[in-house]
Amino acid sequence: MQPDDLARTLSPKLGDLLLGVEPFEGMAGRVRFRREGALDLFRVVRDDLSFTHLSMVGGVDWVDHREVFYVAWSDSLRQYLLLSTDVPAEDPRVESASSVWPSANWHERETWELVGVSFDHHPDLRHLLTPDGYAFHPLLRSFKLHEPEELEVKSRHV
Amino acid sequence: MSEMWINMGPQHPMTHGLWNLRVKIDGERILDVDPEMGYLHRGIEKISEDRHYNEVVTLMDRSCYVAGLNWEHLYILASEQALHISPPERAEYIRMMCAEFQRIGSHIMWYAAFVQDIGLMTPFLYGMRDRDLVLDLFQSFTGARMTYEYMRVGGVRNDLPPPFLAQARKVLDWLVPRFKEYDELCIGSDIFHKRCDNLGVLSASECVRHGVTGPMLRSAGLKRDLRKDRPYSMYRDVDFDVALADGADVTGRYLVRMEEMRQSIRILRQVLDWLEHHPGPVMADQLPRWLGAPYAPVGKEGYVLKRNYAKGVGFSSIEEPHGEAQAYVVNEGSERPYRVKFRSPVFANISAARQYLVGYRVADIPPIMGSVDPCIGEVDR
Repeated sequence: MQPDDLARTLSPKLGDLLLGVEPFEGMAGRVRFRREGALDLFRVVRDDLSFTHLSMVGGVDWVDHREVFYVAWSDSLRQYLLLSTDVPAEDPRVESASSVWPSANWHERETWELVGVSFDHHPDLRHLLTPDGYAFHPLLRSFKLHEPEELEVKSRHV
Repeated sequence: MSEMWINMGPQHPMTHGLWNLRVKIDGERILDVDPEMGYLHRGIEKISEDRHYNEVVTLMDRSCYVAGLNWEHLYILASEQALHISPPERAEYIRMMCAEFQRIGSHIMWYAAFVQDIGLMTPFLYGMRDRDLVLDLFQSFTGARMTYEYMRVGGVRNDLPPPFLAQARKVLDWLVPRFKEYDELCIGSDIFHKRCDNLGVLSASECVRHGVTGPMLRSAGLKRDLRKDRPYSMYRDVDFDVALADGADVTGRYLVRMEEMRQSIRILRQVLDWLEHHPGPVMADQLPRWLGAPYAPVGKEGYVLKRNYAKGVGFSSIEEPHGEAQAYVVNEGSERPYRVKFRSPVFANISAARQYLVGYRVADIPPIMGSVDPCIGEVDR
């Protein structure tokens, strides 16, 4: 599937929530969308375009805004698809993909704690790799590697 | 009897690493599970932002300590796409050779640990003995047995030493009858079947829903192998079959891994023949000089971009011994990656633990989790 084919399927269903489809080496394409259209897009991508397997969710901190990206795989097309949306740094949140792809659960937990993007209606948004009560988002640019932070760690069960 | 939560881990023989499986039980029956990760989180993705591209390779070996070369391969493929560099053909073949030998090493390690989980001690020693031969091979051309630091952006560090090919063929010839021995000890044993049949069943559709990949997915009969479906390196040029089983249970995962090792040997014979007849460079020429620059920590000025090269985003996805591993590398024109993100197959496979554990009994947890082949280094990163 080519970026043009993707745009032909996606644009009637999403309208101006779809910002564009670009080519991406080694994938069917890169779909940029507005975060308001996240759930609609996920459903169309899974059901109409047959990308049934969500491989990963991740985030990039661009300082003035943050980007959330999703990689999905289709067994019938044998192709990957990259979806990405920008969220403002002062209100970093996007709808959770867990209701469409249950596999998003842990990936979103990780993205939340490391990149600081919150996922609305996530079934279980808890710390995964960092301790409970850890108040930093280490993958943000403002988290400096060479200046150790003061840290108070709470036990998980006591 | 009343319900209660128990901790299996972080120190428990079942865990194969540092993690904690919280289990809600009613008597012997498992009602719910909650895996807890993070005991081994070292911040590899964050540290990568402070290292030159080639220095991240060092971290990749520590990412999965039984499949270090596969993770180097994964990261290097994504970095090369991000940096617009293409390696010579011989380097790609050497990487493929590394990946397949590492797959055999990882699967033998899995076999050794797994059979010990279900109470068989002798096969554990057989497995460790045979894995050592693979590690000897790695030592002969990388100098290390576990943390290789062998692959580079643009190729591999050094070519193979002259006696390597003969030695590698000897190891393959030794391994083929050993796999038959392994099977006789496990598949030929009633005890094995009583412990493993119809255990930890996860159907193909559930695997896809919960992001489970690798031998677990193929044991459910779904034919997805990225070496075939989306060939990277030179997998397009070699001939092999995708290992499949149909039980979707612990026995099925055993059968898939055993068959994968046989297929790896098939690939390796073709690759070794190719390497014998095609000498050539193993590093791309005209690489930017800063790729080899020594490490200097980012100073007080923070992440200031010192140079301005072509930007790019790299993505790679490989069939690692545990499943589908991915890397996403953002290059913003500096000598260090702006962001590196990895997808660990075991991360997704463990996240689905509730789906394949609930309903079984406590004594079934070691064989089921053993069949997942958890490697916590790559889950926590």
